[in-house]
Amino acid sequence: MINTLAQIDFIASAGRSPWHRASALGKLVFAAGAVLLAVFAPGLRLAIALYAIGWLAALTSRLPLRLLAAAAFYPLLFAALFVAVRWDGSWETALRLMLRPLTASLYVVWLVGTTPYPDLFAPLSRVLPRATGDGLFLTYRALFELLGRAEHLFRALHLRAAAKLPARRRLPLAGEGLGTLVLHGFERSQRMYSIMLLRGYSGRICGCRHYAEWSWADLWVLLAALAVTGAGVLLWRAP
Amino acid sequence: MSHLHIPDGVLPPILWGPGLALALALLLLAVRATRREAARTVAYQGALGGLMLAVMSIPVPLFALEYCLTLAGPVGVLLGAAAGFQVAFVVCVILALLGQGGLTVVGLNALVLGAAVSVARPLYVRLAAGRGAAASLAIATAVSQAVAGLCWFALLALALNLSPGAAVAIGHGGARTGLFAGITIGLWLLAIAAESAVAFGIGRFLARVRPDLLPAAAGRAAAVPVAGLHGSAP
Repeated sequence: MINTLAQIDFIASAGRSPWHRASALGKLVFAAGAVLLAVFAPGLRLAIALYAIGWLAALTSRLPLRLLAAAAFYPLLFAALFVAVRWDGSWETALRLMLRPLTASLYVVWLVGTTPYPDLFAPLSRVLPRATGDGLFLTYRALFELLGRAEHLFRALHLRAAAKLPARRRLPLAGEGLGTLVLHGFERSQRMYSIMLLRGYSGRICGCRHYAEWSWADLWVLLAALAVTGAGVLLWRAP
Repeated sequence: MSHLHIPDGVLPPILWGPGLALALALLLLAVRATRREAARTVAYQGALGGLMLAVMSIPVPLFALEYCLTLAGPVGVLLGAAAGFQVAFVVCVILALLGQGGLTVVGLNALVLGAAVSVARPLYVRLAAGRGAAASLAIATAVSQAVAGLCWFALLALALNLSPGAAVAIGHGGARTGLFAGITIGLWLLAIAAESAVAFGIGRFLARVRPDLLPAAAGRAAAVPVAGLHGSAP
C-alpha cells in the first residue's frame, strides 16, 4: 500500500507529461465535471464515450500501466456487488452501472497522478473552512511517516510470533503498539506546532499559489473538457 | 463498517446530495465549536487523521478474513466530537482522492465515520467514572462502531428502497438483499469485536504512559493539563 501511495505521490510531482504542467485548478474542475457527468449519464453510449476519453487522458499522462490499472479497476468488485443486487436480466443496465464507477475512478486517478498534493489541496483549502484546509495538508503529511511506522510495527509483531496468539490476545497487543503511534503522533504534533509558530503560522497554512498558474499545457485540459462536453451534448439522449 | 467503500455512480443522487450538504453543515458547526483551539490542535488532529489513514490501509489478519481497522472510537475519545468530526471529514476527502470510495460519497462517508467519532468521547467520560481507562475506551469504541454500523445499514437500506425512478435505483431482490444483509451483519459484529479489542490495548497503554492524553472521567479533573487538548471542545 505504502509503495502504491508513494509511487503515485512521486509520479504526481516528477511526471513530465503536458497534463503534469497544466494548472491544478483546471484539472480539478475538469475531473469534477467529468465525474458528475459520468454519474448522471443516462445512456450507455455517453458512458462509453466518457470512459474512452478518460482512458485517453490517463494513458497520455504516462502513469505506469500497472498502477493505472490497479487504481482504475479498484471499484470493480464493489460495482459488481451492486450490479448483482440490481440485476434485472439486462446486460445493458449492468454495463451502464459498472461504467459509472469505473469512469469516475479513472478521472480521479488521472487527477491524483498528475497533480502534486500541495497543488491539489490548495484550491480545496480555499473553499473549505481554514482548520479543515490545514487539516488536509497536515494529515497527508503525517500519513506517510505513520504508515511506515505502522507497517514496521505490524511486521515486528508478526516476527515476534504475534500471529500465533489467539485473536483475543493479539488484538489488544496490536492496540498497545498503536498506542505508541498515538504517543508519537502527539509528540510530533507538539514539535510541529512549535515549528509552525516559529514560521509565523497564524491560523492558515498558505498552500502554494501554483494551482492557478495557467500555461499552454492548459489547452490540453481545455481540449479534453470540450471533448467531454461535446460527448455530453451529443449523446445525452442517445440510448 | 465505518467507511463506505462505495464508488461513484452507485448510490442515487437523492441520497448523496443531501448527505454532502449535511456533512458540510456539520463541518461548519464543528469548526465553529473548536475555533478557539483550532490553531493549537490542528497538528494533533493531522497526526491522528494520518494514523487513521495509515491503519485503514494495513489489513489485520483475523481468523479467515482480513480486516482494516479505522480507530474511529479511540480518535473520537482523544479529540472529542467537534475536532473528531473534522478529522473524519478530512480522512474521507483524502480516501476519496486515493480511490477508496467515490468523490460523491464523501459526505455520506464523513457522516458515518463522524457519527462513530462523535459518540465516543461523551460515552468514555461517563464510563471512565466507574471503570478503568482501557475498559471504558473499549466499550466506547464498541458503541461507536455499532452506531457507525447502524448508519451504514440505514444508508444502504435507503439506497435499496429508493424508487426505481431515481437516477440510479438499486435492487429489489428480496433473497439477494437478505443474503447481503446476513453477510454484512456478521462482518459488523466482527468489526465491533476487533476495534474494541484494539481500543482496549490503546487505552491500557495510554493509561500507563500518558494518562493526560485521555479525557478526564465525569466529575474528575484531567490528570495533567499539559496536553491542553481537553479544554472547552465538546
